[in-house]
Amino acid sequence: MRILLVALLLLAGCSGSNNQAVSYFHIETPRPFGYVIGDEIPQRIIIETRPDVTLQTASLPAKGPINRWLNLNRISVINTGQHYQIDLLYQVFYAPLEVKMLTLPGFKVLLKQGEQTDSQIIPDWSFNLSPLRELAVRKSDDGEYMRPDAAPSLLPNTLNVYGLVVSLCLAFLIAAYLCFLYGYFPKLLRRTLFKQALRKIEALSKSDMDQALTTVHQALNSLYRQPLFHNQLSHFFQLNPQYQQMSSELDWFFTYSNRYFFTSGMVVVQLDLEKLKELCKQCRKIERGSQ
Amino acid sequence: MITNPKLSDWRENALQFEQQINHVLLGQQAAVRAIVLAVFARGHVLLEGNVGVGKTTLLRAIAHSLGGDYQRIEGTIDLMPADLIYYTYINNEGRPCVDPGPLLKQGEKLSTFFFNEINRARPQVHSLLLRAMAERSISAFNRDYLLPHIQVFADRNRVEKEETFELPAAARDRFMMEVSLDTPVEDAVLGELMFNPRFHDTDQLIGSMENSGIPYYQLNDFAQTLQHSIQTSPKLRDYALSLWKATRKPQDYGIRLADVDMSQLLSAGASPRGMSYLIRCAKTCAWLEGREHVLPEDLQRIFYSCTAHRLFLNPMYAYRKEQLLPELVTSILNQVAAP
Repeated sequence: MRILLVALLLLAGCSGSNNQAVSYFHIETPRPFGYVIGDEIPQRIIIETRPDVTLQTASLPAKGPINRWLNLNRISVINTGQHYQIDLLYQVFYAPLEVKMLTLPGFKVLLKQGEQTDSQIIPDWSFNLSPLRELAVRKSDDGEYMRPDAAPSLLPNTLNVYGLVVSLCLAFLIAAYLCFLYGYFPKLLRRTLFKQALRKIEALSKSDMDQALTTVHQALNSLYRQPLFHNQLSHFFQLNPQYQQMSSELDWFFTYSNRYFFTSGMVVVQLDLEKLKELCKQCRKIERGSQ
Repeated sequence: MITNPKLSDWRENALQFEQQINHVLLGQQAAVRAIVLAVFARGHVLLEGNVGVGKTTLLRAIAHSLGGDYQRIEGTIDLMPADLIYYTYINNEGRPCVDPGPLLKQGEKLSTFFFNEINRARPQVHSLLLRAMAERSISAFNRDYLLPHIQVFADRNRVEKEETFELPAAARDRFMMEVSLDTPVEDAVLGELMFNPRFHDTDQLIGSMENSGIPYYQLNDFAQTLQHSIQTSPKLRDYALSLWKATRKPQDYGIRLADVDMSQLLSAGASPRGMSYLIRCAKTCAWLEGREHVLPEDLQRIFYSCTAHRLFLNPMYAYRKEQLLPELVTSILNQVAAP
């Protein structure tokens, strides 16, 4: 009889209805110390509710500043059935002068079942914040304050430096060659006028006499810095006395050129071209300073 | 070397003609050569020079040596076109008479006409002269008078600018060349001009000249023969064309002048007529040098005389004309190559 009475009492105890909306509640927090200004502090809240109970996400704190030193950077809610995982990521902007205990403020999560509303309190969470600056520990005025970090050891970059030097040298050489081609070194160009002219006319035949004569004219024009004509030869020799020894050859050249370009019926022979090449060679020697 | 005997004979006479004038007008060889070129190229000449340097003597010597008639008129502000054609007077019997003026007086025999200080005359007179120069004829008394051998020489006074009328572009363009006569600088020449009595009496000086043997009435025909006989090669034509283009757009030929925006410098370059005159002159120059082909040097020699008075600067640079024009022409010659 006594046993029957106990069993009835236990049955009556178990048959009573459970009115709690939250069946499981748990907060995962990180270590409560060792934070400095700017650190982010994650917090995970896991709530499991009874069937037909839903979590009101509007009751969660909004992303943005919580107070003057605390910011909620991110908030996410993952809901799988009656299981809610709430991830919060705070960032601290408090600048303590000594180790200070601060508190992440708690809040209340609202749960709804039909017309009824229940709540789950998320408690405050305290942690220690350390100063980043040594203001609090400075003892003397002449002590070194704001010491720099130790310089990191440099990575070996010898190969890169060599590559850079070689590239720069190559670029410089190419730029110099381009400048030379564009005629930005008139002095240097004038030192190689007949060299270039000779190179051009060496490949020409007597049928290209027009081109050969023009090439030599251009070399002489460049040397004279303006078009040189037959009647200006004396002035040319005044400016370039080293070419005076070529006066008879240059006189022949201009007479021949005038006949070739400005009269009709001129017959060109191979000897004329050879003579022109020889003149160019002699001028090249003078230009090089070897004659 | 000239192979055509007619050209060769005439060349001998022309050189003698030049020598005679140089004998009368000392120290003006360049100007005399330019005038001789104009005579045989049949072009009108604008003379520029100070007073008393021998412009009238030069022209009288040319007229005397060629054998044609010579007329001269002074440009004044009240000169009217009719004054060149006729003048009226009361004769001995008290009757009004009309006689031909300087342009008509000698009729077709007029070969040298000197218009002194042309810029003192009004534009109406300039326009009459334009027709006489371009067409070698004028209309008067209801008919046309031909002046087939006329060659006009006009003098511009460059010292005084008061009461003068600048020659319009059209009038300047009709002159083949502008020749400058400056006072000689050599002491020997100056001494000769000062102390040799031969130069003190112009009439006697001119009278002492021998006839050159060049008949003025054959000059037109000969000039035509000369222009057809002297050759220009394609290369020379390219060179002349480049010179012409450079007078129109000098900046395209790398020509730079100090403190000048080259694209703004010229309001007008040389005209086609001007360039045809240049070639006529160059051919005459080649002939006088004893060649039957033109060389670039011939063009260069007469380029300034034939071109400078045809170039018109923008008003913002016009006040520096005396400095800029010679620089521009010299730069063109120094920049354009041939070949």
